[in-house]
Amino acid sequence: MAVRTFAAIDVGSYELGMKIFEFSNRNGMKVIDSVRHSIELGTDTYQTGLISMGRMDELCDVLSDFSSIMKSYKVDDYRAYGTSAIRETKNTVIVTEQIKLRTGIKVDVLSNSEQRFLHYKAAALKGQRFDEFIREGCAIVDIGGGSIQISLFDNDTLVTTQNIRLGVLRAMDMLAALQPKTRDVEGILRELIDNQLQVFKKLYLKGRTIKNIILIDDYISTMLYHMDADDRSFSAEKFAKIAGQISTMTMGDIAKAYGISEETAPLLLPAIAIVSRVLKITKAENIWSPGVSLCDGMAYEYAEKEKLVNYSHDFENDIIACAKVMSKRYQGNSERNELIEKVAKDLFDATRKIHGMGKRDKLLLRIASLLGDCGRYVSIEAGAECGYDIIMATEMIGLSHAEREIVANIVRFNKTEFLYYDELASASLMDRTSYLKIAKLSALFRIADGICRSYRTKVNDVRFSVKGNELLINVYTVDDIDLEQGFFFRKASLFEEVFSIKPVLRYKRR
Amino acid sequence: MKEFGNKEYYVNRELSWLMFDERVLGEATDTSNPLMERLKFLSITASNLDEFFMVRVASLIDMQHAGYSKKDIAGLTADEQLSLISKKTHELVDTQYFVLMHTLLPLLGAEGIELITAHEDLSPDEAAYVDRYFEEEVYPVLTPMAVDSSRPFPLVRNQTLNIGALIGKKGEDSRDFATVQVPGVLDRVVEIPPEYTYSDDTRTFILLEEIIERNMHKLFLNYDVFCAYPYRIMRNADLTIDEEEAADLLKEIEKQIKRRQWGEVIRLEVADDIDPGLMEILKKELSVRGDSIYRIPGPIDLTFLMKMYAFPGFERLKRKDHVPKPVREINDGADIFEAIRNHDILMHHPYQSFDPVIDFVKSAAKDPDVLAIKQTLYRVSGNSPIIAALEEAAENGKQVTVLVELKARFDEEHNIIWARRLEKAGCHVIYGLVGLKTHCKIMLVVRREEDGIRRYVHLGTGNYNDSTAKLYTDLGLLTCAEQIGEDATAVFNMLSGYSEPLYWNRLSLAPLWLKDRFLHLIGREAANAREGKKSHIIAKVNSICDREVIEALYAASCAGVKIELIVRGICCLKPGIKGVSENITVRSIVGDYLEHSRIFYFENAGNSEVYCGSSDWMPRNLLRRVEIMFPILDEQLKKKVIYILATLLSDNVKARVELSDGTYERAERRGGDMICAQNVFCDVADNEASLKDPVENSRVFIPIEGGNMNV
Repeated sequence: MAVRTFAAIDVGSYELGMKIFEFSNRNGMKVIDSVRHSIELGTDTYQTGLISMGRMDELCDVLSDFSSIMKSYKVDDYRAYGTSAIRETKNTVIVTEQIKLRTGIKVDVLSNSEQRFLHYKAAALKGQRFDEFIREGCAIVDIGGGSIQISLFDNDTLVTTQNIRLGVLRAMDMLAALQPKTRDVEGILRELIDNQLQVFKKLYLKGRTIKNIILIDDYISTMLYHMDADDRSFSAEKFAKIAGQISTMTMGDIAKAYGISEETAPLLLPAIAIVSRVLKITKAENIWSPGVSLCDGMAYEYAEKEKLVNYSHDFENDIIACAKVMSKRYQGNSERNELIEKVAKDLFDATRKIHGMGKRDKLLLRIASLLGDCGRYVSIEAGAECGYDIIMATEMIGLSHAEREIVANIVRFNKTEFLYYDELASASLMDRTSYLKIAKLSALFRIADGICRSYRTKVNDVRFSVKGNELLINVYTVDDIDLEQGFFFRKASLFEEVFSIKPVLRYKRR
Repeated sequence: MKEFGNKEYYVNRELSWLMFDERVLGEATDTSNPLMERLKFLSITASNLDEFFMVRVASLIDMQHAGYSKKDIAGLTADEQLSLISKKTHELVDTQYFVLMHTLLPLLGAEGIELITAHEDLSPDEAAYVDRYFEEEVYPVLTPMAVDSSRPFPLVRNQTLNIGALIGKKGEDSRDFATVQVPGVLDRVVEIPPEYTYSDDTRTFILLEEIIERNMHKLFLNYDVFCAYPYRIMRNADLTIDEEEAADLLKEIEKQIKRRQWGEVIRLEVADDIDPGLMEILKKELSVRGDSIYRIPGPIDLTFLMKMYAFPGFERLKRKDHVPKPVREINDGADIFEAIRNHDILMHHPYQSFDPVIDFVKSAAKDPDVLAIKQTLYRVSGNSPIIAALEEAAENGKQVTVLVELKARFDEEHNIIWARRLEKAGCHVIYGLVGLKTHCKIMLVVRREEDGIRRYVHLGTGNYNDSTAKLYTDLGLLTCAEQIGEDATAVFNMLSGYSEPLYWNRLSLAPLWLKDRFLHLIGREAANAREGKKSHIIAKVNSICDREVIEALYAASCAGVKIELIVRGICCLKPGIKGVSENITVRSIVGDYLEHSRIFYFENAGNSEVYCGSSDWMPRNLLRRVEIMFPILDEQLKKKVIYILATLLSDNVKARVELSDGTYERAERRGGDMICAQNVFCDVADNEASLKDPVENSRVFIPIEGGNMNV
């Protein structure tokens, strides 16, 4: 049958949601059922670091019910993602295991950057309007319960992303603590928001014009939907007008007028205040709220994996672009890094049969190549270690924590002694699969780096081929490259160890 | 905006209801109705009145006890209402018995049907039969109870007929009270076989209480029976459950049903010639107020007339039964899903058969591609084929979700049995939302087809009850329109306790959205009228008593909107008041079938919209119930519904028109043809069914111009 069904489950911090998707020739991708259940998992986690037994029971009851709904649709596959509430509990592993045992549902935990990336992907699939918006200076503002994520575009490629810890729930909590006497939520939030936004502005908005804002949130998008806005988009001017109107309305009136439930109406105010401030600071003119959720992103991810949809936007390119922007910030040698990236890419492809790794791993290798020298910004002596720390501390949209750790380790082991599993795993939650990836990718990276090792780039062409148990590397060069050769064999030993194949370097003069 | 706060603009809902019962009684006096039908209408007025007392009067009495002094829409306090109700009810009861004793019983006699209302009138032969019947059938199930110093006054059950007597030990002078319940397990009406009666042409009946009364002395052997008279009490039985506290709703309702038997006595009916001493005892022991006592000049509890109606052999005195006709779009044995895919299907019950709905569930239960069936059940018939089909579906591995509304008035006991049965079969049974009665009628079938999931939905104005579907006029829509399917899924998710959906495509739901929707639709007509655009509202409901809706209608009328209301029962709105409701007309149709469908027509500046639903314009529907209003989107079907409205508006046989003082009179006939809408619908269904080819038929519904419709 040409029809496939997929269930996406979002174990969020204030809501459990499930959407059932159908992929068919008739309708493309379509939501056929959607259920939501309010449960404040976040409240437990944020306050005590643990999820209480009562909430756990409720969570499992609802997930069991989700499971039977999935069965009723005979879904082909499902994915369940936990976000900050699950991520930030002290015993994530125990919680997810318990859920698995009690409901049969396997909940994977998403890092913030993965979660935002899925939101972003979901928005991207909305098509034309998205393409239009990112063509001219654009920022994605993703408002969550605990934090806001702001991502910037440069010529339709996403270049940087920053997390600001001020989401609607957090803003509400802050407001409650202040017990304001007025309804001027924006006025009170202005200071809170502006403080954080100013830093962001200084660092990232210099010399950039932001004309469009793509808004991802739960409240304003519902409101816009009920207002019959043109495909949920508005001018900044009109938005300001509505914001003004809303600030004078009661919660009941807001709920009625904008078709949202009365419990969520209070959350609309901080959301509007946040957007108003972002509009002020960026001076953006247009705002578009595609009304997408994590579940949509999950479905797109699944569809992409199963080759059920085609994206017009190249998301890998976004990640690469982010890495380049990051390298620039740490004054990396872009010319050389890009050469290493190219060589590493070629080497990866030539040795595919030997290492057996996939497209995603290649991406990690490319990112590592681009960021290989970022640590030198801090210390030339301890560049590798600093590089590791910088990468571990910098969020890269689209990469999971585990993937970032792989990249950081590749960079580290390029210069420092390779650590074996027991040594490495004792300091991290890393599993064997990830460790093996680090080993293999490090081996490849060291070769690529070894070839290109120079302060002036001399290498202009490299060809790889595998013959028997030898990796033949033909380097075409105009200059003498003695410097590299001695260095190369020290670096190549890891490759030999990991793959039992001996790299052989040959020079050809042109 | 203009204010419509004047209490003169409104009719008290209880008095309006009593006027409705009067209109039903009017059918019992209408000589154009067959005799047995008149008997039936009289019986209905009696059972209506019982329910009215148990629910409405009881709650007013509760208010009175609680010292609740808020006035109603017409400016009356509970005290004032109760005294008006009492006066009006006494008049109504007087009319009931006048009609029975002086019109209907003599007419029955003329038709050779004799009802003996006093055992003293029995011939010796008849008396002998009756006495033997007593000894063989009745005596064994009687439980006589006497009251003396050692035995307290017994608990007399709610709504049961009893015989009270004064007895004394033989040879002693003292008088004690004794009572015996007329057993509910025996037929109230007993036919005396012809061989015991005078003539072969006459059929003779006697009421059970007369048989017992005559044999009272056999129950108290060592006593003298001085006198014996029937009486009946009605207790306060308003069922109020605090759901927040009821851990298990089911158990709570079971408890309440038992408790219902013993509330405060709010009505006492006694024979009008009752012995004063006996009367005093009853009055004192039952603590009844003077105006709650009804002295009845005939048999107490007229619901027995329905039993008379049901006796075989009186067909000549009844209306010719109209057999519900098959729905032409659904051919016998054809694939019902295919039929729905071809076209939305609108069914008009009871003119058209309810079978397609049952077949729909049955087919879904068997169909291998069906994944899930979800439906609401409010009042289910005994031995419902729908229940059986749902059980089968669950056994076939389908996901079956059933919302059983336990709080359906007086049907709780019934519903609990169904609920248990369905649970046993593996259905997922939901018992409604806390604080809300689920009144909407919706069924969803999810089917996995070649090109993906497709949802088939049935939406109705009537319950999924195959028995009432033969008596109530209702509309049902079968559709697989995607937007309605999506909404239907959202309805069931919401009923299962999930958050409300972000938006609705096509359906409007009470209690959260429906009232606003109505106010919006009415307001839109008013705005159109002000701008000189076409405007017109036609609404057919069972009751109108929501103040905001009435005010909106008044405002629309003032704006110049023509408003035609077809309201079977309560109508707190007064039409034709100058400067308030001049453009509003109200008519009520009380016919052989119970008018039950709710239909709404909005002119919308020439782009008319038609809706059907489960909700009346009453606060309880709009605020405390889950109700659904659905649009009729298909143009052909829209015409069909508009035709139904036009026909109802042109009825001049069964229709009564409300005057500006809130009273009703027969619709004028202006010399034209007699139009009985219900008969017209019977003919339409017959014609339609007789045309076999559905294609040829698709244009059958060319609306007869109602004369007053901007179609």
